[in-house]
This record gives sequence, C-alpha cells and structure tokens, in this order.
Amino acid sequence: MHGGISRRKLTAAGLGSLITAGALAGGLVASSAGAADHAAPKAATPITIGVSLSLSGDFSADGQAFQRGYQLWAKDVNRAGGLLGRPVKLDIVSDASSPTQVVTNYQKLISVNHVNLLFGPFSTLLTVPASKIAYRFGYALVEGAGGAPAVFANGLHNVFDVSLPVVDNLVQFAKWIASMPASQRPKTAAYPTSNDPFTEPQIAPAQRILQKAGVKTVYSKVFPAEVTDYTPIADAVAASHAQVVVLGSVDVPTVSSFIQAFAQQHYNPKAFIATGGPDQGAAFVKAVGASNTNGVMVPNGWYPGYANASSRKMVSEYVKQYGGTASGINSDVAEAYSVGQVVAQAVTATKSLDNAKLIAYMHGNHTFSSVQGPVKFDKLGENGAAAAFAFQWQKGKFVQVLPAHDSNSVKIQYPKANWGS
Amino acid sequence: MGSSIVQAIIDGVLTGGVYALMAAGLTLIFGVMDIINVAQGIFVILGAYLSYSLSVHAGIDPFLGLLITIPALFVVGIGVEWGFMRRLKEGDRTAMSILVTYAVSIVIEGVLNISFTVNYVQIHAWYVNRSVHLLGFYLPYIYVFGFVLAAVLLIALYALLYRTRFGASVRASLQDRTAARLVGIDVRRVSTISFGIGVAVTAAGGMVFGATNAFNASTSYDLISRLLAIVILGGLGSMGGALVAAVFMLVLEDVVAVAWSPIWATAVFFAALVVVLSIRPAGLFGRQVARAQ
Amino acid sequence: MSARRESGVAASPDAPAVPLGGSGRRRAAIGAAWIAFGAALIVFPVVFSNPTVTTIGVFTLVYMTSATAWNGFAGFSGYVPLGHAVFFGVGGYTLALVALHLNMAGGYAMFALVPLGGIAAAVIAVPFGLIALRTRRHTFVVITIAVFFIVQLLAFNLGFTQGSSGVQIPTPLWTAATFNDRFYYAALIVLALAVLVVWGIRRSRFGLQLLAIRDDEDRARGLGVKVQRVKLVGFVLSGVTVGMAGGIYAFFVGQIYPQFAFDPLFDVTVALMAFFGGLGTISGPLLGALLLEPIQQYLTLQYSVGSLYLIIYGALFLVVILAMPRGVIPTAGEYLQMRRARRVERADGRSPAATPSVEVAPLGRASR
Repeated sequence: MHGGISRRKLTAAGLGSLITAGALAGGLVASSAGAADHAAPKAATPITIGVSLSLSGDFSADGQAFQRGYQLWAKDVNRAGGLLGRPVKLDIVSDASSPTQVVTNYQKLISVNHVNLLFGPFSTLLTVPASKIAYRFGYALVEGAGGAPAVFANGLHNVFDVSLPVVDNLVQFAKWIASMPASQRPKTAAYPTSNDPFTEPQIAPAQRILQKAGVKTVYSKVFPAEVTDYTPIADAVAASHAQVVVLGSVDVPTVSSFIQAFAQQHYNPKAFIATGGPDQGAAFVKAVGASNTNGVMVPNGWYPGYANASSRKMVSEYVKQYGGTASGINSDVAEAYSVGQVVAQAVTATKSLDNAKLIAYMHGNHTFSSVQGPVKFDKLGENGAAAAFAFQWQKGKFVQVLPAHDSNSVKIQYPKANWGS
Repeated sequence: MGSSIVQAIIDGVLTGGVYALMAAGLTLIFGVMDIINVAQGIFVILGAYLSYSLSVHAGIDPFLGLLITIPALFVVGIGVEWGFMRRLKEGDRTAMSILVTYAVSIVIEGVLNISFTVNYVQIHAWYVNRSVHLLGFYLPYIYVFGFVLAAVLLIALYALLYRTRFGASVRASLQDRTAARLVGIDVRRVSTISFGIGVAVTAAGGMVFGATNAFNASTSYDLISRLLAIVILGGLGSMGGALVAAVFMLVLEDVVAVAWSPIWATAVFFAALVVVLSIRPAGLFGRQVARAQ
Repeated sequence: MSARRESGVAASPDAPAVPLGGSGRRRAAIGAAWIAFGAALIVFPVVFSNPTVTTIGVFTLVYMTSATAWNGFAGFSGYVPLGHAVFFGVGGYTLALVALHLNMAGGYAMFALVPLGGIAAAVIAVPFGLIALRTRRHTFVVITIAVFFIVQLLAFNLGFTQGSSGVQIPTPLWTAATFNDRFYYAALIVLALAVLVVWGIRRSRFGLQLLAIRDDEDRARGLGVKVQRVKLVGFVLSGVTVGMAGGIYAFFVGQIYPQFAFDPLFDVTVALMAFFGGLGTISGPLLGALLLEPIQQYLTLQYSVGSLYLIIYGALFLVVILAMPRGVIPTAGEYLQMRRARRVERADGRSPAATPSVEVAPLGRASR
C-alpha cells in the first residue's frame, strides 16, 4: 500500500473529523439553545433546572430512584402554580456513573443550556467534580446524596447537602445498644465494611461507642467494594459468633450476599444493621427474599412511614404514579424530593433565581422543611438539623424504631428473628 | 481460626466449581479460535436473567430451566459467531476479537438494562438459603448442586472432546488450524459450534451465579476479568486446567480473605496469576508454545 | 498460520526505512496537511469557545495522547497491553499527592507536576514491563490486566493514597469562561510530545526493531535484535505520555479516586480508538480518539436515559469494525489506492496488477 496516498487522505480525514467534531459540538450548542431565556413574556418561560444523574452504570439503581424523586417534585410544584409564577422544567442528562461525563454534563447544562438552577447528582464521587464546576460559574449545588466528608473538604461554599451527614448515621443504633442494661447487652460485635467513602466514616464512631460500653470487637475488616463473592467474608463473620453485626454496605447486592451466607451458616446475630441496602424498599425485599428481611435494621434520615405531612403526601402520590406499596419506596426518592423543596423555598423567600442570593440565603441560618424533616445548613453546607433514625423490617413492614422515645417509633425487635421466619 | 480456614477452603472449592463452569466455555473458545470473548461475562448474566425469568414468570425450577436456557444460549453463541466473529481476518484475530466482543457485550448490556431495568435481582429457590450440615460445617445446597452440575457438564465436555469425532476435530483445530484444514476438517464449522458450546455453558454458570449473587447487567465486568485470569492460568483450551485454576484461585482468595484480610484477597488472586505466568507462561496445563503466537 | 500478512497492519503505510514512494511534492503536501491539522487544533478553542466544547476538547486530547502512545507500542510490537490505565492513574495520583503534600494552591505551578507524573509512570513501567514482557502475546494481554487490577487494589489499600476517599486536587480560581483553555493547551503540548515520540520511533532503527519483533520475534532475536530490551524501552516510552495525560486529566476534574483513575474501561477505550483508526499508523489513533470520544460523550448525554446509548454505541462500533476491520485510515487508504489503480488502468489500458506496489519492506515484513 502506498504511503503517499493514504497519508494525504488520512490527514484530510483528520481535518475532516476535526471539523466534524467541531460541528457535533456546535450542534450541541445549537440544539440546546432552545432552553429558557429567549424572547417570550416572563410568565410563560419555564424555570429550567439542570441535573446529571446516573441512569446507567454502577449507580443506576439509585440514579433512577433520584430521577423519580426529582420528577415527582417538579410535577407537584407545577400543579401548585410553579415557582415565582413560572412552571418548572427539569433538564436531566445522564452521566452513566462516570466522573468524566459529570464534568461535561454540568458544563453543558451551565454553558449551553443556560439553566437557571442546578440539582446535584448521585453519590459523593460525582458530587465533588460537579460542585467545582458549579462553584466556578457561581451556581448553588443543592444535593441529597453526597454526604461524605470529601464533599465538604474543598472549602466551597456553594454545596448544600439536605440529607443526614454520613458520619452520624450509626450513632443512634450504637447509643441504643450501649444504653441496654448490662445483662441484656450483647457482648461481641463484628464490623465488616465495604471500602467506600460512604461506609467507612460511619463505622468508627459507632465502634467507639460500643467498645466503651463493653461490647468487644471480634471482627473488624474492610473488604473491597468490587468483590463478587462475599461468602468467605460473611462466613468469617459468622465464625466469629458476634452477637451484633454492623455491616458497612452501599447497595443491595452486598447486604443480600451477607444475609444469604448467614442463613446458610445458620448464624443468627441478635442485632444486624446495614448502612445501605435495606432502605431501598422493594429492591431489597426482592433480592433477599421476604422471609429474610425480618429484623434487619438500617439507619437513614427518612422512611416511607415518616409522620410528616409533606412526606405522607409524597408517598401517596408516588404510589399513585409508579405503583407498588409505600414500603417499596427507595429512600433516594425522598432525598431527591427534599432537594427540590429546599431550593423552592429558597427561591420563594428571596423572590429570585440569582444563585448568589440563594447561596447567601441558604447560609443564613434559616430552617427549611422537607419530606425528610427540617433542614438547616451549617457553615460547610451540611444539614445540622437532620433527623437521624434507625429503621427495621418487621414482618414485611418497614418501621421506625429509633430514637426509642420518639412518638413514632415502635418497639425494636430484639433479639432479631432467625433467618427465614 | 482453624475451622474458619477449613470453611474457607470448602467455600473456595464449591464456588471454584461454578467459576470453572463459566471459564470452561471461555477456554474452549479461546483455544479453538484464538478469540478472547470479552462478552463471556455478559453471556453469564444473560443466562442468569433467562433462568430468573423462567423461574419468576413460568415457575420453572432453575435447574430444570437449564434444559431451555442452555440450548437458547447455544443459539445465541452461534448467532454471534456467524454474525460477527467469522468476519475477523486471521492476522489480528485475537486483538480484534476483544473489540468486537466488547461491542457485542455493551449492546447486550443495553438490551438487558432496558428489558429488566437496572434493579438488582436474584434467583430464589428452596435450596438457595438452606444448607446441609456435614462434619460440623454448613454446605449451602446451591453451591453443592452447582458444583455437581459443574462437574457433570465438565465431564460431558470432556467426553465430547475426547470420545467423539467432532471432539477430535476440535482438538485438531486447537492444535493447528491450518493442518486441520489440510486434513479435511471443516474448521469453520468446528469453530462455530465450539463458540456455540462455549457460550451455552454460561447458561449453567449463570444460573448458579444468579442464585448466589444479586446481579444486574453491570455485574458482568467483575466477572470477565476473573474468568480471563482463570483461563490463562489454567492454560489455553484445557478444561481440566480451567477447573484446577478456578478452584485454586478461589480457595487462595477465600483463605487469604479469612486469614489475612479481604482487601488483599483479590490482589493475591492476581498476583498469583502473575507469579505462575512468569514461571510457566503457558499456564498450568497449557502447551508450551514453540513460536510466538 | 496465514501466509500473508495484511498490509494495513503490518508494515504501516508510512514505513520508515525507505524513502516514501512519492515525490517530494507529495511529501510537502503531507507535511502541509499535518501543519494545517496542528494549526486547527491550536485555534480550536478560540473558534469554538463555549466551555462545554472545550471540555470535550480536553478529554478528547487526553484520549488522543493515550491512544497514540499506546499504539506506539502495541501497533509496532504487536503486543497488546490492556493495562495502560496503570500509567494514567499513576500520573494522576503523582500530581494529586505531590500537590497535597506541598500544600499547593490551584494555579499554573501545578502544571509543573505533569511531567513528574510522566516520570513516575516511566518508573512504574520498568518493573511492569519486566514482568509482563517475558510472556508471549495472549498471556501478555492477561498479565497486563492482572497487574492493572493489582495496582488498582494497591491504590485502594495503601495508606498514602488515601484509599476510597480519594484525593482532592486544588482547583485554580481562573475565570470561568476561559478556565478550560489552559488545560486544553497543556493537553495539546503533551499530545504533540506523544506524536513526536511515536514519529521518532518509527523513523528510527529502534522502530524497525519493534516491527521486526512484531513480524517474527524469534527470527528477530536470531538476527541480533535485543528483543527484551527493545520491548521494554518501547513499553516504557508508551507509558510516559500516558502518565502525563493522566496528570492533566486529574487536575482538570479536580479529584482522583482509585476506581476512576484506574478504570478498566480506559484500557479498552484506548485500544478501541487505536484499532478503529488503524493500528500501526500515526494518524489512526488520533482519528480514532477524535471521533470516538466526542461521539461517546454526546451519545451518553443525549441517549443515556434508558441505556439506549449503549446499544447505539455498540452497534455503531460493530458496523465500523466489521466494515473496516483494519481501521479507518488503512481501509480508506486502500480504497483510494484501488480507485487510483482503476483510474490508471482505464487511462492507459493497463491492468492494476502492473501498478508498482510494495516498496522495499523493512525486516520481516513478508513473512508470517
């Protein structure tokens, strides 16, 4: 094959592709220019809110739940007359759980779509790069699923997390165990946790409290997040005969593998709490099997039975729109919905869409209300007023059990029922 | 600690059987066609989803359902080979096959995501959560059954390869494609059927995997890297090698997870691969290759 | 074994040892085309100044660099490594950790850390290469995958990499509108470096030796080529610019986590781009990355809702691979040569077979 011909052709092809790429990019610009702010009387133009969500890839289950939450909120707001008299329009793009894509997505939402407001993506891993871009362009980034310390370590004042700060998740549970009379209190505990910025920070505070109360640590190991086979790890936990198991998990597959192995080994701890997974409603039940959910606990800032007026309303609307039962609702939905609510309240209070004003307002010590309870942002942007609960599956129903003296808490099932009952 | 380690070894042997099943197909394809079938992982998941659907929508027991899913995946395998693999030219076959099978796998992943959504599911049956008590250890039924299934299928494959004429053709093609062609073997047909068989066994592996892990389409990525490691460790085209390698790797990993730490278990898995390959480049049971491949 | 090797992949159309079969005028035309291409890349951010476009531009340049460097080893030696993400991640982590320990603030000074990332990648490449290159082709692929996973696990578990919490990288406070441009140009410089390195390899005796290894390693050894050393040097060279690209990428995104710095998809994507464009050519990987990265980002953006983009991307890819199995550039080149030959034939009634074809091939081209 001749060098000369193909070389010339290929450089022409190269130039051609450069132009194509540029045209593609230009097409991006053109196609999305139809957003909000051109011509038209103010009353008619919708307020656009840009979001990047993980609709495929590793975080897809949560990303899609978030999408449902955001969309439900938008529908409710529009039904009630919109924000500042204008309808709200969500501009959702998918990032396939990739940080590279998140960067491009938020960049596009800001510079091409020229959205008015931004909502956050799912997970700390994606929230950090998103927050940097938002910061650069002066946007507020209100989110509900990026709560690990890494998000707030950058000193950016435009990030706001409406959900419970991750570190405090297990404290209620640990305190409950510690408060038991000595004769009843379990003697040993196991702390298997996934290698993840969401789970690891939670375990240490809980472990400290329990150790101080005399609960001996008989197993404490970190396992990789990418494991396909949890059996040996779960079997080792079972072999430790720990009376309490505190599992640092982020998703359903992890918890279900552990539960399955525990059931196979006929190992029944007196208390079992997992940091993530049991709060995903129907997805959890389906993976684990209804008879194995009994007694499993999970900490969270919300659950479908939450005695909060707006929460109840959201729950019934969700069921009406998407079917299923209340217990089947993924807590991500509530997180997403809360983001919308807080932003709406800030916009209404400041009567503007100016992000700088919104940021200042949200840092202004005001308390917002959401389906997850009260929201008040501290200096870093974390929600200091967040309610911390622990929940438990009891005979197929997902109920609140901690704080024990809360009027909405039911009696905790302790010791936990055996697997399969 | 002692009994923990024994339990870990048992776990490793039983799960090793399942992985061996999934790897057996891969090694067969690899050996006969010089093709790295990166889509093997997603085929396993496809098999798992098929078993799941049959179980949930038609109430068919997963093991019985294999009578349907294995032929189904055989057809899928043949289809993929006919549609894509045979277009690959000899020269860069292996490297190109990575790309082609990768493209196939993401298409299948997309289809699965749309058909089944991304929510995790798991196959349920009476034997999934129950175990048999033996010598003070609990052996989960599903793993035992899975191991037996793996053994049966591997023996069947062995019989096919070493006791039938077709098997002889396969082995000939494995050794030297050109020579096989010269002797009158229809290498193309042999390749197609081998590919089909290689994919069909993932139905069985997928069923057991789906019963022991919650899965969705993106679970395939973890799977394929391990399967590749096992296949190379065992040696190209060697079924027995795949079984030994699978069991060895899984036992090693499980024991390390218990005795040392789960974090390093996977690292040890791959480090062992590197060590073995440095000493024996063709794998445990692979043939030493005289010239560069 | 095939008796004849495809021309597209073997001796690349731009074989080094011999003066190209064209006239000086043709060479000048090619040179001009490359200059024009380079100029287009330079003015690109000025013309298309929307930050979204330049963002995609930065990522595309990073991939162009990686694909080119990867091809500089894989295309010439025939060994297909699927572990270059190791270099990418090492480059990124080097930048991140040094910035962390020196308490650097986000700014131009951090670009000085980029070459440091390249050096770190080169250092890692030596033991990596020593282990992996002792094996032959198929095994080599899997060993590179294995080493990749080991490194990823190390990143998760060694204390100083901060494990799963990742490392935050200070982000400079430049104006939003032109923020991306600095990264774009930094990436462009690294790309130029990568292209120069590959071009230099091909024009040198070293490149010849690599090609000889690709065509028949044992014979090359028999002819006196120091095979292990040559492979190792090629491998290390291919890691340097990938490491630098990784540093720029991490700096741009502002954070680094083990599973994203060491991402198996990176390996496959880079290989994909090189194959797509044409293995063994210089412009092939450039074209591959230039087309695939923006397309992939665009598809994800528009069609990811519902996983449709996976199907579209995969199907598109399959169609292209099967229609052009040797990659776009070589296939396009062949097509044009066919057209040209037919034109010549029609012009003076000669059969195409008589058209002068192969130039004197470098060592070992015709065998295999």
